[in-house]
Amino acid sequence: MTDLLKIEGLNTQFHTEAGIVKAVQDVSFSVKKGKTFALVGESGCGKSVTALSVMRLIPDPPGKVVGGRIFLNGSNLLELNEKEMRKVRGNRIAMIFQEPMTSLNPVYTIGDQIVEAIRLHQKKDPESSWREAVEVLRRVGISDPERRVYEYPYQMSGGMRQRVMIAMGISCEPELLIADEPTTALDVTIQAQILDLLDELKERNRMSVLMITHNLGIVAERADDVAVMYASRIAEMADSQTLFMNPLHPYTRGLLESLPKLGEQVDRLAAIPGNVPNPLNFPSGCKFHPRCPICEEDPRCLEIEPLLEEKEPGHYAACWKV
Amino acid sequence: MNNSLTKKSDWGTSYGELVWNEFKKSRLSVACLIFIIFLFIVAVLAPFLANDKPYFIVIEGKTYFPLFRGLKATDYSVFLATFTAIVLLLLIRHNRRTLDPSVRGGVLIKQVGAAAGILLTGIIVIQVLVPHRLDAQDYKSMIASGRAEKAVFAPIPYGYARTDLQSREQPPSPEHWLGTDDVGSDVLCRLIHGSRISLSVGFVAVGISSIIGIIIGAILGYFGGRVDFIGMRIVEIMMAIPTFFLIITIVAFFPRSLFNIMFIIGITSWTGDARFIRAEFFKLRGQDFVLAARSLGLPLRSILFRHMLPNGITPVLVNATFGIAGAIFIEAALSFLGFGVAPPTPSWGQMLSLGVSTTGRFLWWLTLFPGLAIFFTVLSYNLVGEALRDAIDPRLRE
Repeated sequence: MTDLLKIEGLNTQFHTEAGIVKAVQDVSFSVKKGKTFALVGESGCGKSVTALSVMRLIPDPPGKVVGGRIFLNGSNLLELNEKEMRKVRGNRIAMIFQEPMTSLNPVYTIGDQIVEAIRLHQKKDPESSWREAVEVLRRVGISDPERRVYEYPYQMSGGMRQRVMIAMGISCEPELLIADEPTTALDVTIQAQILDLLDELKERNRMSVLMITHNLGIVAERADDVAVMYASRIAEMADSQTLFMNPLHPYTRGLLESLPKLGEQVDRLAAIPGNVPNPLNFPSGCKFHPRCPICEEDPRCLEIEPLLEEKEPGHYAACWKV
Repeated sequence: MNNSLTKKSDWGTSYGELVWNEFKKSRLSVACLIFIIFLFIVAVLAPFLANDKPYFIVIEGKTYFPLFRGLKATDYSVFLATFTAIVLLLLIRHNRRTLDPSVRGGVLIKQVGAAAGILLTGIIVIQVLVPHRLDAQDYKSMIASGRAEKAVFAPIPYGYARTDLQSREQPPSPEHWLGTDDVGSDVLCRLIHGSRISLSVGFVAVGISSIIGIIIGAILGYFGGRVDFIGMRIVEIMMAIPTFFLIITIVAFFPRSLFNIMFIIGITSWTGDARFIRAEFFKLRGQDFVLAARSLGLPLRSILFRHMLPNGITPVLVNATFGIAGAIFIEAALSFLGFGVAPPTPSWGQMLSLGVSTTGRFLWWLTLFPGLAIFFTVLSYNLVGEALRDAIDPRLRE
């Protein structure tokens, strides 16, 4: 299986008045062709920054990709100039965002917005682009697309808008779709529909998906491979079956234990003690050690940051104790 | 072009229709818009409304048309521009009814291009072909002396450049409805002709300053950082220079022409617009739809002016209404100081300044009527601007 997207040692920083925030540190993973890769973690752990780094859309200043390489089909995206990068965005990598209510421009009809992307990347005339916009809306399951293309975002519900966002994303048949928490803002039934749609489109277009989420349920059901991020680093990475069956890193275990289970009567849900560390002031050594149940004041955990190692074949974890 | 892709009933409402539907909910703003349109009609038809030459006159059995013969190249240019604008508006209306929204954009660009071409060549042809005639005949005395049998005059039968030293500084009377000024010209006539100057100064100056302000503000706001820092210092330097004195200085070096005044007001008053647009773009550039537009690989031009600008243009629109008012005032002040348009060309500000006459009398009709004209024009622009702001803002729509 070939890698479509390969990230090596990605480092992204933000220069703020309070100091340098290392939002992504030494992140490496690869997304295989036609597969779904999930990036899981709490808010602020660097998932979205990783995705924006791939798109080269980190707001600069204050942000900057300071190290690493991002290969798309073998070519390093970080070496492209802005003009070349524009041909990649939307055309080869598309991105959909968390908040469908604000991701569409309120002053244009959805048809206008889809057509603009089609005309830009496929150099088609307005007439056939418009036809294609109707087609792509039909493909994402919007009923009556001939009429809907002329509607404004405010005339649509959240689920519909997310479908429109997906339609814009897939209109140029990208090789990679980055979905940044695509279902967080939607209610549960719509969530399932949107995820089914993404799976279906992935199959049909032979597209890879980089899914960014904090919902472990989605990961278990939909992802082929998973990386768990904690405090700007990858804590554990494996295919999703292995990760859920045999979690190695104490953080992953904590996350899985804190999920409520059906049919089990408990007074309190299990929780990971403490809070996510402040990115301006990370703890020394392993960043998870103040909250870790298995660290037991081990001097290695307190002083040296563990690197991602292959603990079992295809199963990586960054922990001294496993 | 009319092989439509979908049913006409599916087209929905266009952006323009949405804005108009919101706009017309307020009666006051519609009234103000009607007043502004009325002013435009008056300005365009000024030579037909107030003229010392009759529409036609019969002298010894022969009919002459002095008013039409006396029209200047400027008048013909104004008529052509108005005609083109009306045709263009009708075409847009026609497009909306018959063309599919997917092809409207392309058709509109062609139509606007054609209209601009016709207008430009038309104006050049007019300037070349229409001779400058000087017709100093006094047609009224011809009627009085019985040389001419019959004549029909304009409703206000005075010329704006015609002086009449017998009737200087007269208060309003049945002959001169709004009185006369220091050289005996009819105030109403000069008011009507002055509307051309005031309207065009406002529009052209604000047009120039808005375009400069929008482009500079958009770049500063979108890029931020160092670009913004340097750009804002330039804006601040511009703001620190007292604009009015700069204008006076520049005007002193260049010939006194209306175009120079419009241009100078335009290039010195863009700082407000630049700051508004910069602030809006700061807010907008972090929004999801801008990020989404960038993630589609759209070029900078499209992101700045297609996706961000319509969402951030409202303060500039409102500011433009104040700007038009401001430009009218600056023109008035320049005319007052003798740097404005040269007499006998009438402008409201110049008339206002004649209120205190050289003889020391306070001529209230010379202050009141141009003052009211300026007041209502400025008020209408402001109210229309505010209504437009509310109508454009998608957040205020349900």
